[in-house]
Amino acid sequence: MKRQFILVLFLFVSIFFCFMFQKNLIEKREIFLKENYAGYILPSKITGPASLEFSGIVADFLFLKITTFFGGEFNQNEPIDNKYAQFLYESMNILTDLDPWFWDAYLMADMILTWDFGKIDLANKLLLKAMAHRKEDFKVPYYIGFNYFYFLKDNLNGARYLMQAARLPKAPGYLSSLATRLSMYQNQYRPAIMFLNDIIKSTQNPELRKQFEIRLKTLMIMDRLEKKVHEFKKRFGTFPDRLSDLTDKGLVKLIPDDPYGGKFILLENKRVYTTSKMIYK
Amino acid sequence: MMTRKLFALTILTFKEGVRDRALFGIGLFSLLLMAGSIVVVSMFMRELHKVTVDINLSAITFAGLLLSFFVSINLMSKDIDRYTIYSVLSKPFSRSQYIWGKYLGIMLLIVTAMGILTFCSSLAIWFTKSQYSLYFQGFSWMEFYKAVYAELLMFFLLNALIVFFSTITTSSFITLLFSISTYIAGQTIEEVVLFLKTKHAAEIFMSEGINTIIGIVQYILPNLSVFDLKLQSAHAITISWDYLAAVTGYSIVYSIVLLIMASLIFNKRELR
Repeated sequence: MKRQFILVLFLFVSIFFCFMFQKNLIEKREIFLKENYAGYILPSKITGPASLEFSGIVADFLFLKITTFFGGEFNQNEPIDNKYAQFLYESMNILTDLDPWFWDAYLMADMILTWDFGKIDLANKLLLKAMAHRKEDFKVPYYIGFNYFYFLKDNLNGARYLMQAARLPKAPGYLSSLATRLSMYQNQYRPAIMFLNDIIKSTQNPELRKQFEIRLKTLMIMDRLEKKVHEFKKRFGTFPDRLSDLTDKGLVKLIPDDPYGGKFILLENKRVYTTSKMIYK
Repeated sequence: MMTRKLFALTILTFKEGVRDRALFGIGLFSLLLMAGSIVVVSMFMRELHKVTVDINLSAITFAGLLLSFFVSINLMSKDIDRYTIYSVLSKPFSRSQYIWGKYLGIMLLIVTAMGILTFCSSLAIWFTKSQYSLYFQGFSWMEFYKAVYAELLMFFLLNALIVFFSTITTSSFITLLFSISTYIAGQTIEEVVLFLKTKHAAEIFMSEGINTIIGIVQYILPNLSVFDLKLQSAHAITISWDYLAAVTGYSIVYSIVLLIMASLIFNKRELR
């Protein structure tokens, strides 16, 4: 009886220490993962053969790992370190070696590389790889066209890819005329709003959806303010010097807050922009 | 008469396999993985159908591999290890019939297990599909079942290999080692050969002898990667019937060759 009691007591003491170790290790691991999480990813020359016939599920796992990492960075509402752009490109390149049809991977890389890092060349490189495998998918040339048009201000290539997208099966009817319309909207936020609306409609992940919605909201505010700036010009014959002129003249009640924590400003070329650059301040 | 004998051995092996407790562990593990897929998919952006199919097909394959490497090898070696082979061979069975009967029994077990798992995974996919129907537009049941069928063909061949190895080795552990090594080599040989044909590989010094050996090995080793249609199925890329017919022929012919060789070796083998 006494022996059994000692044994049970010992068991409880062991469980207590086990819990303490676990707790301590969790804290240590959090620091460790924060410092080392995105350090490297094994090249596809190794991951490919090592995953045997399970390359699809390995690609899913890697994708989840990368999205968790970038999701964590976004949730901190701080600018993401630029060094992660190359990491994102390389890891997505490896991941799409394992599963070259994996559209979520291409799309996520495109969204972050363009909007958050401004690395349009890297994003387009991955999209061109997607185009080699998803030959019938209109979305791929559509996104390349958008990148050329919106980020690189290259109308010629933008229209070329959009036309290519329009010719593919299941492409929406409006695509063929979009190229022309986009040229009309040059230097406006309208194409980006259309583009983001399209992405939000087909995004299931709530975290990513939230990120896109915040970006869309910011762009819509800037688009509305820019329209008011042009209305100001029409009414008073001259552009306002600053955005507060719009409230002074009663065109808008108040300048909304930037969801990213910055401040909306009127640039010298009379375009509305934000000091946050759509990155959390 | 011969068919009846074969049938009796097949059923005997099947019943023996069903009694193996490992079978339930493997089944439970796969079912948990399939159920887990319902939860995991919600973490992805939009290609939920791809992830669901990936997880379910991987679970079926993994279960099949565990069955082949542990239950099949055990079924093959048990008779010899426990000396029960003498009582079996004292019946009017030839050694060749014993090999074929064992193989067919193992295959019946694998087909039954895969059938059950495919049914369960169909339920898991159907449930996920009903929850996220918007993200399942790129899914095709037909391509999913074609991939399952191709995996089954791979198990036909892999188990023929296991039967073959168990006739040339004296220990089940060595059979396991040979089988796993051949499986890994069979899954990667295609990639190795493709790599050797690239420009990058041309820069690496490799003697003519090694190149010749790899060239020969690729014809001896079974190319198991031809049965892997999981990625195509996950993206609902149409797999042609021609291709399926070709892999069916490949699996059957290769398995027959291995089983004939196994019979010949087993006929000559001295049982202690």
